Amino acid sequence: MTLLQVEDLTVALPTRRGWARAVRDLSFTLDRGQTLGLVGESGCGKSMTALALMGLLPEGARASGRIALDGEDLLMLDEPEMCRIRGNRVGMIFQEPMTALNPLQPIGRQVAEPLQLHRGVGRAEAEREAVRLLDRVGLPNAAQRAHAHPHQLSGGQRQRAMIAMALACEPDLLVADEPTTALDVTIQGQILDLVTELVDERGMALILITHDLGVIAETVDRVIVMYGGAGVEEAATDDLFAYRAHPYSQGLFAALPQIGLARGTRLEPIPGTVPELADMPDACTFVDRCPIAVGACRATPPPPLAVGPGHRARCIRLDEARRRSQG
Amino acid sequence: MSGGMIARAFRHRSFAIGAFLTGLVVLAALVSYVWTPWSATELVVPRKLRPPSGEHLFGTDHFGRDILSMIMVGARNSIVVGVVAVAIGCTAGTALGLLAAARRGWVEELVMRFSDFTFAFPAILSAIMITALLGPGTVNSILAIGIFNVPVFARLARGAAASIWARDFILAARAAGKGTTRITVEHVLPNILSIIIVQATIAFALAILAEAGLSYLGLGTQPPQPSWGRMLNDAQTFMYDAPYLAIFPGVAIAVAVLGLNLLGDGLRDLIDPRLARKR
Repeated sequence: MTLLQVEDLTVALPTRRGWARAVRDLSFTLDRGQTLGLVGESGCGKSMTALALMGLLPEGARASGRIALDGEDLLMLDEPEMCRIRGNRVGMIFQEPMTALNPLQPIGRQVAEPLQLHRGVGRAEAEREAVRLLDRVGLPNAAQRAHAHPHQLSGGQRQRAMIAMALACEPDLLVADEPTTALDVTIQGQILDLVTELVDERGMALILITHDLGVIAETVDRVIVMYGGAGVEEAATDDLFAYRAHPYSQGLFAALPQIGLARGTRLEPIPGTVPELADMPDACTFVDRCPIAVGACRATPPPPLAVGPGHRARCIRLDEARRRSQG
Repeated sequence: MSGGMIARAFRHRSFAIGAFLTGLVVLAALVSYVWTPWSATELVVPRKLRPPSGEHLFGTDHFGRDILSMIMVGARNSIVVGVVAVAIGCTAGTALGLLAAARRGWVEELVMRFSDFTFAFPAILSAIMITALLGPGTVNSILAIGIFNVPVFARLARGAAASIWARDFILAARAAGKGTTRITVEHVLPNILSIIIVQATIAFALAILAEAGLSYLGLGTQPPQPSWGRMLNDAQTFMYDAPYLAIFPGVAIAVAVLGLNLLGDGLRDLIDPRLARKR
């Protein structure tokens, strides 16, 4: 059975101008040992997707569709049931290691807590295990550092502690929301290597959320490009880097600085700005900024169309997009 | 508290002065249990209204009681009333505030409207109302001051807790599978404790002031138990003949209130490890 099956996930947020859909009709599946990247600009719904998976949506938000973890629909669970899943079967790493740790608790304690909570082990045993975990995530001098408070650690060390905390109960699924964005470039690589290593070692599934295409290229097998809450293109990482079918993905990659481009080559920005969530077009979300949009694009949400094996894009003008990319 | 923190505390000027003044009052109260220069309650009319002298350091009142002894026993009274009243207000108020911040929705609405309602009455007025209802006396003035403190702490705790709930590490704790109650006890309360302790110190000063006010009005501690407020009231009649009768209890109240306020200010600076690091 697939580990995670997300079907038509839609997240609606209350705004002053009515309901705005932060995630619309997102579907994907993920198996143990597989890695999936969600990539897109800020506000594209990638973090909301992560929060929906964790059942941690902001107050008032409504999620519909289906998030099946081993066949069990997480959206149907109540809060106490969800508490048993979080941190136990699904772990999460956050963007800001500076703020995602309790400033008043030693980190060893914070890593030990999920173990006490979900595994019912005693405090002493949990703290011994926490030291082992901190050691595994590469925190030097783990036995002593376990007694350190977050402010006594560097950003990279804190992120390692966060990873140890998320992995404490050996979850089946790890959700990493921009895990390296707040870190120095040199540390970024180490943390990503650590995450992929742990995912391999434990046969977990990984959902990596980032706006950084470089991180995607290095880390995950498959990518979903998101825009305005919709998953506009899904492909194996190599396929996507070889060919982008959706006009938005094409624009996103064209706006990326690359080594080897001739000096003076201008980067191609996507015209316009991301509209506010409440103003997002109803059919294709990208229609207002799309260079090849036609009237039909505004009629109905585009269905996912096959581009190649395992490669789909939600665009009804795929042929025109291909012509443009080649011309 | 580590050794370094204690050393730092006494370099902090307002904390040091506050601790000294508060210590003086507490010392007077403690000593009064085992020794006072004279009896604080025995009436010796022949030696009434003596000005300060070597024999009676602060003089005697119109019944011939030794003022210094009365102030010492009165300190005991003020401290007991303050501690118990603040304990009531702080415990109940903080619990309500934490509940409001954790549950949100109608629970929060209910707690906050209740404290708005209580806040609408001036403190001393509600205290008078409560003692008028229950009758005067030490226990009832403790209750009155305690009840007045509940909404103060409820509001403070709710506000501080709400800002903690919005922090990332709470989201991380929820992502680790912790329920609302655990998060409140393990993550929210420790992070707002410093604010609560500082407020408790300041509420303690206000409670001493309120107790003096109630006793002054005859609603607080009843004779023969000495209290600073009633000493002030008694002194009124002899204001021109024996001003020291008003001055000494007045100074006692001022020292206690000032000391606790300075102590509260100092604590606020010292207790927060994140602020402390910058020093």
